[in-house]
Amino acid sequence: MTMSPFTRVLLGLCCLLVALWLVAPTLVVVPMSFNENKSLAFPPKGFTLDWYANFFSNPEWSSSLFNSLKVASLVAVAATVLGTLAAFGLDRMKSASAGWLRMILLTPMIVPGVVLGIGIYAVYLDTHLVGTLFGFVVAHTMLAIPFVLIAVSASLEVFDKRLELAAASLGAGRWTTFRTVTMPLIAPGILSGFLFAFVTSFDEIIVSLFITSPYLKTLPVQIYSSITRDADPTVAAVGTILFLATTLLIGLGLVLFGRERRT
Amino acid sequence: MTIRRSILSGSAVALVLAALSAPALAQEKAVAGEVKEGSLAGKTLTFVSYGGIFQDGQIAALEEFVQKSGVRLLSDGPTEIAKLQAQVESGNVSWDVVDTADFPPFVHCGTLFQKLDFTKIDVSNIPPGQVGECSVPAMNYGVVLMYKNETYKDNPPKSWKDFFDTENFPGVRAIDGSGDPSGGFLEQALIAAGGSVETMTAADIDKAIDQVRQLGPDTIYWKTGAESQQMAESGEADMIVMWTGRAMTAVKNGAEFTPVWQDWLVVMDQLTIPVGVKDPDASHALINAYLGKRSQEVLAEKTSYTPIHKDAQPEVEPAVAAFMTNTPERQQQGYQQNVKFWVENFPETQEKWTALMSGN
Amino acid sequence: MSGSDASTPARSDANPDRGSPRSGGSAGRAALFREGWLLVLPALVVLCAVMAYPLASIAVRSISQPEWGLQNYAWFFGTPVNLTVLQRTFTISAWVTVVCVLCAYPYAYVMTVVGPTLRVVLILCVMVPFWVSGVVRTLSWVLLLQDSGAINSALRGLGLPPVRLIRTQTGVVIGMAQVLLPFMILPMYSVMKGIDLRLVQAARSLGARPSRAFFSVYLPLSLPGVYAGAIIVFILALGFYITPALLGGPRSTMLSTLVQTQVLSLLQWGRGGAMGVVLLVATLVLLALAAPLMRQRHKKTGAR
Repeated sequence: MTMSPFTRVLLGLCCLLVALWLVAPTLVVVPMSFNENKSLAFPPKGFTLDWYANFFSNPEWSSSLFNSLKVASLVAVAATVLGTLAAFGLDRMKSASAGWLRMILLTPMIVPGVVLGIGIYAVYLDTHLVGTLFGFVVAHTMLAIPFVLIAVSASLEVFDKRLELAAASLGAGRWTTFRTVTMPLIAPGILSGFLFAFVTSFDEIIVSLFITSPYLKTLPVQIYSSITRDADPTVAAVGTILFLATTLLIGLGLVLFGRERRT
Repeated sequence: MTIRRSILSGSAVALVLAALSAPALAQEKAVAGEVKEGSLAGKTLTFVSYGGIFQDGQIAALEEFVQKSGVRLLSDGPTEIAKLQAQVESGNVSWDVVDTADFPPFVHCGTLFQKLDFTKIDVSNIPPGQVGECSVPAMNYGVVLMYKNETYKDNPPKSWKDFFDTENFPGVRAIDGSGDPSGGFLEQALIAAGGSVETMTAADIDKAIDQVRQLGPDTIYWKTGAESQQMAESGEADMIVMWTGRAMTAVKNGAEFTPVWQDWLVVMDQLTIPVGVKDPDASHALINAYLGKRSQEVLAEKTSYTPIHKDAQPEVEPAVAAFMTNTPERQQQGYQQNVKFWVENFPETQEKWTALMSGN
Repeated sequence: MSGSDASTPARSDANPDRGSPRSGGSAGRAALFREGWLLVLPALVVLCAVMAYPLASIAVRSISQPEWGLQNYAWFFGTPVNLTVLQRTFTISAWVTVVCVLCAYPYAYVMTVVGPTLRVVLILCVMVPFWVSGVVRTLSWVLLLQDSGAINSALRGLGLPPVRLIRTQTGVVIGMAQVLLPFMILPMYSVMKGIDLRLVQAARSLGARPSRAFFSVYLPLSLPGVYAGAIIVFILALGFYITPALLGGPRSTMLSTLVQTQVLSLLQWGRGGAMGVVLLVATLVLLALAAPLMRQRHKKTGAR
């Protein structure tokens, strides 16, 4: 579309501002993490690395990080298996009821978190699942299944079924066809579903706040309670570390992905 | 008559003898602050309090206990009675020792909180009149009115009356909304509304709460002590009702606020053990250790709160000393709430207070 | 089962190559269908156990606690403050949606016209918020919006009067909009990149001014993306909890916070449940109302 230079500049400026708005706020935790005062009041004063040391030495923080990694890994595996199976199932059904089923399986994405939270809390209180690993994993798996379903379904949509047909006509059994043809082709979808499931669990806060106990706190719960209860800059240090870690991971992914595309 | 009396006195003697010998026979009597080496190894206790510098101080005070007993100590919070109730009712009690506000242990004694076994807790050094059936004091402290210097300059508020006077002292108010209603604060509201505290009746609760409501829709209810501190440090509110320890920390962190000591509200937190904890003996041992002289000194040094061991001699720095409430001068300025009244009218007050906080 | 097949002839006809080679007749299709069910079942079981059952138990509590009846709903709709909060929840969500549409539209458009490298950068900017812990992002907003925060420090530095942002509706809208913006940008982008720009050029060559060409050709074609994004954002905003809880004050309380207070601070399962049911029903009704708009999107993008 041809644009006047004025429109072009205006658009560019809008775009830049929105990009800043998306990214910059997160960076404000970085200076805060070096604050000498045990306070979250801006602007930070002085310089210290105490809060980083606290994150790594305080068992409350390290155990919550460990819990989150554990829960998220289990959830990623469980949700990927269940979500992929469901995606295949829906792909076979292809009927009105499949449409309904898909909608039902996606509802965890739109049910307000607090409503889900109080419901699960009520059930977990009765079944003594509050603060248990099993309780966390099941609840998070439910929340993560939609993401896996979407990712795998998307790659099944574009997947050319004639390839399966070809394999079958060449005498491959159903399992062999699946293993040698279907699986490798939809692997990127499954992988991105896996990652989304991991992140969903790792970042989940609302339901977790309801079903947590002193024995099992996940990192977001610890961050939330530290913000509201302690207001100490350790949270800023944690935020900075998480931000750095994910940036590194994504950067690494980009480099690898970029190289793959070039070759 | 005489026979009966002699039987009575005889049994009284027997009772006294039994009482004297029983602890020696059954078990050694607990001494505040002492714990047996390795007695709780492999066990886990969860200590629940209000977070921030207060809980940090409490954990520091328990450090020796943790090291000696070998217990693994977790902290959680902030204390919320409803959350505790959900735990007790469903049999999922994960809180072993709970620091609560003034009234709950008296209101829910025996139902939510256990009656304490005072052979396992040594209360002999606690100032008289502070030990309840279900609780011991956690510390003595105050609730104080803090005002922002920049807002009021030459005409600062001098009393609670000024706090409720939004016409002559405009500005955003921040109030303790951490859960339980504060009796002392409501009494001050009642006084400001023209009521009398001496002849207070249940009908006056509404009057007091209405007075608070009249502070207007901009009033903030802070949920945790850390939040009140944050408000002072960022200058968000003009007058804040604060716990003295948080006021001290805020000022230490550079908040330009001044306390009004006239009629500061005398309060004390309570240490309790919920009904249905896994190991009541371990919970008792924690409380007994908490009451030790050294523990209380550590607590006071970290928080500015008054120790509840009569011999404790904390060495506090000046910034902390400025907010200690146990000096003779402060003792004179303090305002004592009518604990009996508020405990008797607790459910009603709590319902109305929560309605106010959620905007009703 | 074959009945449901018959009800959607268009779909099954449109995909003649679907299904495994051995499924020629309707019997084979029925077998496949059964197999499909079996594969979906495990996910469905999890969903029933930790979503359907808990939601049902909340609904039951809302009419059974403290006693059977509709008193909790009567209380909800009879208490002015609840209605205020309900209305506010919708108002804030609407504002968030408007802000998101206005900011996302130019951004998504630029994404479709720039070179590949710049596009990756722009996509990354959208994804960054996804990858940074939601709680930490809200903390960032607390730091920015405080009275002594970054924004007010900057204003003061420029000699401007400070603005009260934290614990105001404006602050909550700013924070929520940033969190939800990616959900607006991505659907818009996916629709916009499918728009054939030659249509706009055709309009221009027929003498339409740029603005006219935009409003009468490009905008209508991009609307499905706007609708989809707006619906998602609005619905997610309705149920927001963490951001309003940390950034908000008494005048920006949203329904989720009230639900939490009723349950966790007051143990009023009945009242909290009733509020939860109201929030859930509002969400579902909105979705049902919006479904036609979504379907329109399928038609249009399908035609490209």
